[in-house]
Amino acid sequence: MKAEVVAAHKGGMWAWLFQRITAVLLILCLALHLVLTHILNIGELNYGNVANRLAHASLTAVDIILLAAGIYHALNGLRMVLMDYWFGSRRWAVALSIVLWVVGLAAMGYGTWALWPWIS
Amino acid sequence: MWAWLLFRASGLLLVFYLFAHIIVTSMSHFGVKVNEFGETTSWYDSLMEFFDHPIAIVLDLCLVGVVLYHALNGVRIILMDFGVGIKQHKIIFWVCMAITVLCLALFAYVAFYFLINEVGPWNGTTEVVS
Repeated sequence: MKAEVVAAHKGGMWAWLFQRITAVLLILCLALHLVLTHILNIGELNYGNVANRLAHASLTAVDIILLAAGIYHALNGLRMVLMDYWFGSRRWAVALSIVLWVVGLAAMGYGTWALWPWIS
Repeated sequence: MWAWLLFRASGLLLVFYLFAHIIVTSMSHFGVKVNEFGETTSWYDSLMEFFDHPIAIVLDLCLVGVVLYHALNGVRIILMDFGVGIKQHKIIFWVCMAITVLCLALFAYVAFYFLINEVGPWNGTTEVVS
């Protein structure tokens, strides 16, 4: 348990803080995301029906927040795990961060593009 | 130790799922075709058809379980960061697990209702909400 608390600070203060902020965002938005996808009955799942459900701007707003918070939380979590085993030295840790930022920003762009037919 | 290990494992699984989810969603852009009945179908539609399949529903339920475990154990960690319940961390862990099981039971109810009746429990019809 002590190891959990100590290890949580190794990735840097801002990463630690943002990991908590995105965690809370994810719990709230994910709950909304799941409740809406379960309660709003759209019948058969297909492009048209999903598009109708996502036509509301508030839903796509939740999805964009989920996308950003999810990617940050996922990649920072991955970074914390990798740093425990292979990227312990400072130089490798920096290289890992840069690679993950590139992957993250690309995923954010690609994810927004994926949602685009329902945004516009 | 087990809580920590499961937290890691579930986290890594969810990273994989997140990227799979983004790719599946982006399929709306690809492979639109017209079938023999003159209907437009796409990669996206064939994927969505699979997601209504019982196997996919059960996998979804497993996913909800993994998400709930990760979320509730994460809440416990945030509480510990604030210095709440460090001494009672075992009790808090089991309280979190109880909440996880309760929430999972709710989702299991919805999933099995859907598997049996082929509609969700909140709506009596399969009419499209537009």
